[in-house]
Amino acid sequence: MSFAIKLGASALALTVAATASFAESHAEFWKNAAAPYQGVTIRGVTESSPPSLYIREVLAPEFEALTGIRVDVETTSWDQMFDKAIKDMEAGTGIYDMAYIEQDIIYSYLARGFLTDLTGYLADHPALKAPSYDEANFTTFADYFKDADGNLYGVPMEAFLKVYLYRTDLFGDPDIQSAFKAQTGRDLVPAKTHAEYAEIAQFFTEYGKANDMDLWGTTAQAHTGHVASWYEYYESVAPTFGVYNWGIDPDNNYAASTANGGAMNGPEAVEAMTWWLSMRDIAPPESPASTWTEVGTTFGAGRAAQGLVYGENAGWIAADAEKSLVVGKVGVALPPLADGVLAEAESGDGYIGYYDGGAFGMPHSSNNKEATALFLQYIGQNEVQPDWAVAAPRVTNTATYDDPKVVAFNDELGGYYDLIKDKGYLFAGAPAYPFHAQVREATAPIFYQILLGDLAPQEGLDQMAAAAEATLSELWYRK
Amino acid sequence: MQSKRLGWILLAPTLVILFFFGVLPFIYVVYVSFHSWNPFAVNPDMVFNGADNFRKIVFDSAFLNSVGVTVMFVFFAVLSELIIGYFLAQAFMRDFPGKAIFRTIHTLPLIMAPIIVGSVWKLMTTPSIGIIPHYLDEWFGISMNIGTSAPAAFATIVIMDIWHWTPLVTLTLIAALVSLPQDPFEQAQIDGAGKRQIFWHITLPMIAPAVVATVFIRLMDALRTVDEVWMLTGGGPGSATRFVGVHIFKEVFPKTNYGYGSTISVIVLYLTIVSCWLLYVTMLAPRNKKD
Repeated sequence: MSFAIKLGASALALTVAATASFAESHAEFWKNAAAPYQGVTIRGVTESSPPSLYIREVLAPEFEALTGIRVDVETTSWDQMFDKAIKDMEAGTGIYDMAYIEQDIIYSYLARGFLTDLTGYLADHPALKAPSYDEANFTTFADYFKDADGNLYGVPMEAFLKVYLYRTDLFGDPDIQSAFKAQTGRDLVPAKTHAEYAEIAQFFTEYGKANDMDLWGTTAQAHTGHVASWYEYYESVAPTFGVYNWGIDPDNNYAASTANGGAMNGPEAVEAMTWWLSMRDIAPPESPASTWTEVGTTFGAGRAAQGLVYGENAGWIAADAEKSLVVGKVGVALPPLADGVLAEAESGDGYIGYYDGGAFGMPHSSNNKEATALFLQYIGQNEVQPDWAVAAPRVTNTATYDDPKVVAFNDELGGYYDLIKDKGYLFAGAPAYPFHAQVREATAPIFYQILLGDLAPQEGLDQMAAAAEATLSELWYRK
Repeated sequence: MQSKRLGWILLAPTLVILFFFGVLPFIYVVYVSFHSWNPFAVNPDMVFNGADNFRKIVFDSAFLNSVGVTVMFVFFAVLSELIIGYFLAQAFMRDFPGKAIFRTIHTLPLIMAPIIVGSVWKLMTTPSIGIIPHYLDEWFGISMNIGTSAPAAFATIVIMDIWHWTPLVTLTLIAALVSLPQDPFEQAQIDGAGKRQIFWHITLPMIAPAVVATVFIRLMDALRTVDEVWMLTGGGPGSATRFVGVHIFKEVFPKTNYGYGSTISVIVLYLTIVSCWLLYVTMLAPRNKKD
């Protein structure tokens, strides 16, 4: 055996031994740290989404086997989750030790002082600090869950973009390509502008009709009685026309109307609304009853050639043959943009879409803070991330991108993880508004009237801006 | 004297529970209704604002619309359930092949939770995948989309409610019809009364208490309908099916407008009591007086 081989074998043996010993010492930590809390049950409430189901089905049992601490994770609907968590934290009943904090609600929770500062808590309880947990491991998405002092209030558990998905099989079909070229005079490639997107959408809707196929040119999350439609417009459509933060200017006395310096009813907002409505009109007929879930289902059923789809659904659409009819036929791209928007996003003055996600936080009212702190660290470790990222496409830790499993899965997803890693900075979470749900609910009924055609876009947006300002005045944000 | 005391002692647990879980929360809601209170406002505390909330409600078009939609829903749903329930009850009074099986199937919707009923109907009515729009289109060329058509959404909810609750009306009326004495009917037939005369002058007056009780139950239930509508349309399209229960839910929970939401609750409770009282005085009180 040559010296080089001997050296290599020795290095490998040392590495394996060190890794095993490291893992063993980690296991020792969890056992020792959890020893005083054996038999304790901690409860969490979260949305019934793939990442949360992974916690319930995989991470919670693993943690229980390791520590003897039982973890009950209640997965429920999006609105019920908020309802239950807020009621519990408001009343201080302590039913839940963990609550899912969607990125857009964190500011409301922080304003009400609902959550425990995890950074401070672990600093005060060094015996509970896991060696394998480090806040520095998280991607910058974790910044949404920090206060002005940089203290973390939630362990990120899901993070994804609302992306532009398109059907690679349709876009790559030579016959379709030539038909498209003959009709439009340009190549069939993912759209970069709204006009191009509309052209592709129109083409495929007509193509579906002409060929008696259940195929339409675009998705539309356009429910006429559910806030999902409101979110599609404000998170994913309006920013691509240069309307940011819902058109409300927090630095200008929370002005919403153009008359007061806001942009909610400005020309860009009207243009965005008009464009989006025109897309809704050539989307599949279920669109007016579609929330984010149904949009994923529509795309997965192969009924749309392109669309804006939440990343949490991109995984099963692209890779789960039991659920999706378009496995291996999905590509991802940046959404179509108006002139100047990309430059604004790159300079940090704007954004091009929604960076969605959430974290698990620990309410002040929790009665089992020690055991909960251990579990939250457990799900925040680098070690548990790769399998989680494959089971439910979400990345919260920087190291996850380079894991071989994730790299392989990225190819199946048409480069979705690359897009998050390389272009994630162009997207943004919801604006830092403590009045998020209040303004949304005040304006949503008018928004639905626009969708139904009862109000023209300009008229409707004028009313929405007025309603938003009235609500902000009622809540004393607007002086 | 002793039996009176024993009566109070036996009643005491119920009264205590009622006080703590019924009366006390109600008093608290009335108290909150005189305040401005939104925990996500700059000032999250309760601030007494006199009758401002009650003044606001009179001009609140969203609330008034929700009351209007609810009243229409109650009228169409309860009336239809009563008529269909009566005919079904009469049918079940007779013998016909497969009666037991049909009666069992007919009663099945009653055991389903409203949220499940809403989910099932959502699946059946969603354009493209729902069986109802599919066959309406295939057989009659009718395009049905409850996401865009307010009348279609409203009618679907009325039909769903009828499907869900008619069996309750049927069962109640069967119980009333079974308990009727046969003598008056035989005498009426001997005197040559027709079927319509027998119905108006004998059957209906005799089952009136059961009818009123059923209407009371259905009226109160229908006025607080939330779950099925929430699941099926979310109150849409627009505000076409935003019933008052849905409106209160949206005001109190997502909007966290606890003060104003309490005011709406108090007003709706008042309207419900008034409706029931009107029903009582118009249908039962004259009869009691006559008796």
